[in-house]
Amino acid sequence: MNRTVASWWALAIVLVGVSLMAPLFMSGYALRFCTFVLMWIGLAGSLNLLTGYTGYLDFGHVAFFGTGAYVTGVLMLKVGLPFFPAMFAGAVIAAVIACLVGIPTMRLKGAYFAIAMLAFAEAMKHVVLELDGITGGGNGLSLPIYTNYTFFYYTMLAAVVFTIAVTYWFGRSKFGYALKAIREDELAADVSGVNTFSCKLIAFGISAFVAGMIGGIYAYWMTFLTPDDSFNVLLTVRMIIMAFLGGAGTVLGPIIGATFLASIEEILWASFAYTYLIIVGVIVVIVVLYIPRGIVGLIGEKLIKQYRRKGKSA
Amino acid sequence: MVLKTEKVTKTFGDLLALDAVDVSLARGDILGMIGPNGSGKTTLFNVVSGVYRPAAGDIFFQGKSITGRTPHYICRKGIARTFQIAQPFSQMTLLENVLIGAMWGDGKSLSKGRDAAEEVLDFVGLGEKAHLVPDEVTTEDRRRLELARALATKPEVLLLDEMMAGLTPTEIEEVLVLLRQIHASGVTIFMVEHIMQAVMSVCHRIIVLNYGQVIAEGTPGEVVKDEEVIRAYLGDRYV
Amino acid sequence: MLLQVLLNGILIGGIYASFAVGFSLIFGVLRIVNIVHGEFIMLGAFITYWLYSIFGIDPFLSLPVSFALLFVGGYLLQRFVINRIIEAPEIMSLLLTFGLSLIIVNIALIVWKGDYRLVNPEYAGANLELGTLIIPYIRLATCVFALLAVGGLQFFLQHTNTGRAIKATSQNKEGARLQGVNPARIYAITFALGAGITAIAGSLLSMSFSVFPAMGGDYLLFSFFIVVVGGMGDLPGALVGGFILGILQSLVTNFIGAGLNYIVIFLVLYVMLITRPTGIFGRGLIE
Repeated sequence: MNRTVASWWALAIVLVGVSLMAPLFMSGYALRFCTFVLMWIGLAGSLNLLTGYTGYLDFGHVAFFGTGAYVTGVLMLKVGLPFFPAMFAGAVIAAVIACLVGIPTMRLKGAYFAIAMLAFAEAMKHVVLELDGITGGGNGLSLPIYTNYTFFYYTMLAAVVFTIAVTYWFGRSKFGYALKAIREDELAADVSGVNTFSCKLIAFGISAFVAGMIGGIYAYWMTFLTPDDSFNVLLTVRMIIMAFLGGAGTVLGPIIGATFLASIEEILWASFAYTYLIIVGVIVVIVVLYIPRGIVGLIGEKLIKQYRRKGKSA
Repeated sequence: MVLKTEKVTKTFGDLLALDAVDVSLARGDILGMIGPNGSGKTTLFNVVSGVYRPAAGDIFFQGKSITGRTPHYICRKGIARTFQIAQPFSQMTLLENVLIGAMWGDGKSLSKGRDAAEEVLDFVGLGEKAHLVPDEVTTEDRRRLELARALATKPEVLLLDEMMAGLTPTEIEEVLVLLRQIHASGVTIFMVEHIMQAVMSVCHRIIVLNYGQVIAEGTPGEVVKDEEVIRAYLGDRYV
Repeated sequence: MLLQVLLNGILIGGIYASFAVGFSLIFGVLRIVNIVHGEFIMLGAFITYWLYSIFGIDPFLSLPVSFALLFVGGYLLQRFVINRIIEAPEIMSLLLTFGLSLIIVNIALIVWKGDYRLVNPEYAGANLELGTLIIPYIRLATCVFALLAVGGLQFFLQHTNTGRAIKATSQNKEGARLQGVNPARIYAITFALGAGITAIAGSLLSMSFSVFPAMGGDYLLFSFFIVVVGGMGDLPGALVGGFILGILQSLVTNFIGAGLNYIVIFLVLYVMLITRPTGIFGRGLIE
């Protein structure tokens, strides 16, 4: 194993170690903030699994987050299931719904897919509103209360580690290559033997599973859900921006993008909600116009050029 | 017959692109397909490789019907194709491009696929450039990359869409050498070509398409003298 | 009763059509999905609102102002910002216009606050009564004006040089360029036209529906529905699509329940996208 790879692994281990021990040293506020950042890393990461690797821009991804949240909430409140089975069920149901929606929708090209998914998310919000007997509709859903914030930190951390591991696997597995081929040129992938239809659906299902899982954790953590909060298009927007800002299709991208944006949000949100969104909008415009490959892409390009130059002179 | 189309017809709205086209390839054939622009040659390739579904007619591969099957199924069964304008995966290295073919068209694992991909790249003469991306190599190299990716899927039948377009005579000879080697290893070749030098020297038989119909079929010598062919290319005056 | 419901739907449909044609035009020529579309509606509505509440200008008289302001704004926006990524993959224009939308909506929220407003001229409550049918004058007038605007746009496209250049560019960019058409200029003008007519639609909407900074979102979705059903890039199709949406909404709200509106619209949209993405007339563009 060469030195650069070894140092990345060392860094990763250090980070994991730090994050495992962090709660021992943090105040309640800091702990909640870190959990919040972790949640966004996970959400941006889940979107990245689909959009970064297959190129299908899911503008309705929040639907899977909200589904996970509500299924978890309903199962815990009305059926009395304990948290982990309920959360798992929420994630599975989100994945199943993604596959069902994906079968017809993934035949659509770029922008059409994006907006069809946006419409889907809006429709899901209204489904939840209409089924108010089960979900509490516009009045919201209250879950059993549990205020052990350290618990939520570690659960969210576990979910994020899982997401990162899956992303890492996407980057270097046979399946991951198929997804990248789909992203580059779906037709060429098809005639080269890639079963684009099932690969896309699987990626979609996995990304929805992760979003659903995080939704479930969010539900229990927040204790109270409303359709507007859980199915809000702005959540999807943030996921997309975080993934693209950091660098879609990479492992680090969502981590960097989410940490950066979530931090800005925390600073500005309380006092300047609208200003925060304007800044987000400006960031999007700047990223699209000047750094379309995101921060990781920017750094990555420089590193690749250096690597190639070294390789040539060696 | 390793590949056979029976009365294959394809329409796009009002446009009749293919009109009851019958083509047969025996194992070991090198069949050339020529015809004026817009005569339906690439459309036929698209139908055979599963990109389009024919409006009527059937396609048989090794005796079994593949009509209406998905492109990846057909690829895995053993029909590979190249595109007229090369469509490489631009964010991947040449090696990774070919790797896709080896893994998904031939079913190899990641590590075995890499070995296979390297071999194929060496075979087409791109071995040294394996770690470059398509943007960094010449157009001719990208064509060879298409060929390499198709070969990596270990096809029985290779559909080549205008591989020689824009090449110098020397380059054409190089590609012909490759084609003869590929043929010698047991692959049946079906090629669309405009460059007569290539078609005449390497094809066993030729079919001629015009306005979606087969207007002539036979050995190269027979086809160039065929009245219909001359009429299609040069007009009535030259018949 | 059914007749009244249908009539309501048609009256609304006319306005819906007017804000969808802009969306369709922009997609047909520039091939981008313009998320700022919703904000064109919002800005048009606010222009009318402020002109009415501050200067007492009749809403119908504010239409040319709306058109002019958004025409200029749209031209500048396209020429200096959007044109930079016109050749990039669709996702880029989607994201870019989304970012712009965020900026515009939130500036509006800061400056104008989120309160719901309505433009309420004195003649607002008057109705035309035909037998058992009640036709509010406002609805009738706004529908007529909407159709006039669409007709005007269509006339412009068919019978002026610029209009024909626009149509040529949408059908075959390279061909048009070879004939001397400057695509960059055409893109900017088309975008400006789309913005302008959408602003008119927004102004008309302000007389029947609430005006607030975030209002664009729903109308954007409606626009998408209309152009998919009517055929993306096809103006007469957008007209038909608008009426279909209006009638559909009216029927659902009256006979099933207002809450189901979105779900029904989504289902119909879905079925259209799967079975006939080129729209009912089959003339829509899907790439």
